[in-house]
Amino acid sequence: MSLFWAISNQVKEQDCFMAKLIFYLSDFLLILPDVCIRQDVLTRIENIILGIVTSLSKDEAPVLALPNRSSWANVSFDSAIGLQMSSGSSVTTIRSDCALSVAKFAQILKILLVIYRLVQSNSYATKRDIYYNNTQLFGSQKTVDGIVDDISCMLKVPRRSLHVFATSKGLISGDLCYIEEDGTRIDCHSSSAAVAVSSNIDGIRNIVSCAKFVLIVEKDATFQRLLDDDFCTKLSPCIIITGKGVPDVNSRLMVRKLWDTLHIPIFALVDADPHGIEIMCIYKYGSVAMSFEAHSLTVPSVMWLGLLPSDLQRLRVPADALIPLTSTDENKLTSLLKRPYLTSQPDWQKEMELMQQTKVKAEIQSLAAIAPDYLTSIYLPNKLRYGGWV
Amino acid sequence: MLTEIQQVLRLVMILAKQRRRCGLKTAGGLLVLLWTDTGDSVQSLNCTVAAAGPWCRGIQMKALQPDLRDLEEIMLPCAWPCPPPDPEELFAFTDLYGSPKLLLSFQMNARLLRPEWCARLEAFLHTFSVHNAGINIQLRFSLNQQIVQRDFRVKTKSRVALANQPSLILDVTSSTVPPDWVETGRWCVGGHPVLGGRLPLSIPPEAMDQGLFGELSVQPVTLLSPCVLQYPNLLTQLTHIKVLVCSPSNVPVTGPSTFLQNLPAHLDCRELGLHGLRCSSFKDLVHSSGTVYTAEQENCEDSEQEWSPPRAQQRLLLFLFLQHNDPFTCQLSDIMATEVLIERHLEAILNNNRKAVTAALQTELRDTLKVQNHRKKDQEKLRSAAEVILSSSISIVSCSSNMDFRNACLNCMKARDTHELSAALRKSLWRVTSWKFIPKSKCYTTQMEEHPESDELTRAEI
Repeated sequence: MSLFWAISNQVKEQDCFMAKLIFYLSDFLLILPDVCIRQDVLTRIENIILGIVTSLSKDEAPVLALPNRSSWANVSFDSAIGLQMSSGSSVTTIRSDCALSVAKFAQILKILLVIYRLVQSNSYATKRDIYYNNTQLFGSQKTVDGIVDDISCMLKVPRRSLHVFATSKGLISGDLCYIEEDGTRIDCHSSSAAVAVSSNIDGIRNIVSCAKFVLIVEKDATFQRLLDDDFCTKLSPCIIITGKGVPDVNSRLMVRKLWDTLHIPIFALVDADPHGIEIMCIYKYGSVAMSFEAHSLTVPSVMWLGLLPSDLQRLRVPADALIPLTSTDENKLTSLLKRPYLTSQPDWQKEMELMQQTKVKAEIQSLAAIAPDYLTSIYLPNKLRYGGWV
Repeated sequence: MLTEIQQVLRLVMILAKQRRRCGLKTAGGLLVLLWTDTGDSVQSLNCTVAAAGPWCRGIQMKALQPDLRDLEEIMLPCAWPCPPPDPEELFAFTDLYGSPKLLLSFQMNARLLRPEWCARLEAFLHTFSVHNAGINIQLRFSLNQQIVQRDFRVKTKSRVALANQPSLILDVTSSTVPPDWVETGRWCVGGHPVLGGRLPLSIPPEAMDQGLFGELSVQPVTLLSPCVLQYPNLLTQLTHIKVLVCSPSNVPVTGPSTFLQNLPAHLDCRELGLHGLRCSSFKDLVHSSGTVYTAEQENCEDSEQEWSPPRAQQRLLLFLFLQHNDPFTCQLSDIMATEVLIERHLEAILNNNRKAVTAALQTELRDTLKVQNHRKKDQEKLRSAAEVILSSSISIVSCSSNMDFRNACLNCMKARDTHELSAALRKSLWRVTSWKFIPKSKCYTTQMEEHPESDELTRAEI
């Protein structure tokens, strides 16, 4: 009843009816495909093991073929999806009879076993749990993180199907309510404290929101500033989310989920520097490393709200708030301009070419040099009102 | 008898070496023929040493006669010249190698011969053949109308280039028989000598007093056998080290050396990855021509396990080639005398350079055994990873509810249950990883062994 009350206070009458229908059917709808997915994962793992046993029966050393997730040669760009892994991509062979690669072979098998048991018992674990269960074998958390993604790519199943969660680092706040898989109700309305992005995005259901747009914020500092200034309720209802820099998979999945569910504009607020632009591109087009899962991670409709290089000139941001580009910045800018997805974004190209010409960059915080509350009182409202995005 | 033959060989080698500086080949034949005059009692034993082939081209007996007369006293102190043997006795040799360029015959009192002189002579000639693998040696005994012939012909040779010296041709033949499951053509029948760092030696005062001057040095060369380079995952275990000392004319230095016998006590065995080295007993050394050390093994934990990885037992041959250079020594007699002095004072020379020689040998052995120690570390990586691979695979098979999958795994390995499957997988994984084969172009395959006369069997090693 309390859930029904929360929904009926937030949506229109027909939306209320739909919300009730979805609420009662969702559990049933989720069960059937979930069982099939789990069985599919188990079968794929069994095929790997059978391959190993077959090799040994023929007195051949078992090998594992991992698609190469770090090569630009293995990705192609589709404007509707973003960066995705090409079919027939090159593979890295992990041999069991070579001292250099046998440790990785063993680590992969161990994690396959963990995943097999999790999927079989329909339970979940975090990547951190896996690492701490055998620190001597894995050596570092980074090793486990990489292998889990490799396995997802090798088995050609989404990461979430492996029942291994990553610890989320992102934060979310605004006009948004939803229910986690374990039944926990999440209300992101609080203006003083943000909510951590869920570790199980796929399990989220009953998303309810009156937000008019979603704002992706690059940095935690900017995100906190928006929270402090009560941005989510001042202008119009919205949702703000940050991945605290380069976003983790869960933050990206959340943005995608909001897009799929709410179909509202997604804006990005990043620093006017190559690093910020690259982070924005990850949300919009995806990354090379996760290109095999582009369909669930990218939001090609993301728009660049600010801070634009042209804003620096237009707003006459004080010169002492501007920072000269380093050689690393210039190299990254050149690299970004060569990326396949930018050819379809002439306005973005213009902004980046302007940055190349002026040879300066600026953080969002530079707007405070104009006025302390310039960002939330003037800059963002004007941008949103008058279509100042590209 | 052995001393006399050694001296004659020294003469032949010095003459041949002088010609090799002109780039002549090192192949040819050497005959050592021993016979007795017909008679009821054997009073004297005759010996003929003949050399023929490209390696001694240019040697002219007539031109050497004056030198040979001068050298009689040095070379044959207990022997005297005798007429050459019946040409028919030489027929088999000359038929193969052509007419001898050098033929020396001498006779000695048979009662002066030391016991087991035959065995010593054979051991010496075998060692000579190891150092000079390009020369095929025939040892023929024609005693009491009985003829016994022994051929020292090297199957696999390797050329080692030296700076400012004629190259060495060493016998690198490996006699180890590979296991049955090693395919034909996948076992290296030779070894790969490694040239070490040349070490200058200072001449002790007592040797100088006797007339030994000039620059003296020792050139180490190491040879591990059998070669398992093509099996990078195969564990190796060093069982013996044999040290062979060679004079500047490439004639083996015979007789035990106290310095070398005591050497293990001064080596850092831990740095070498060994538990210890023990010099073989003197009795064993008598016939062996060289100093042999036995490597002490660690207590094998593998025997406690169900199945332990295979190991290839290896022996290390450490050649010490003495080199001497004195611009004032150019007469043949002087060169011969110098070599005799070097051998006579070898013990004093080694003791005079004890620290340097010990350090140099430590370095050579360490560098040679580095590979073995890397293999141990790699084997440990493979072993610990194999346990994880096997346990993870078996766990998935055991807890799977997919009967088709389980049966497929069991049928593949012809196992009745997961316990048998585990044992079968373990055995197979160890076999495929231990015997992983990567061909190396520098290794000698068994196909090449079918053509022993081919130049291809001689490899150049740097």
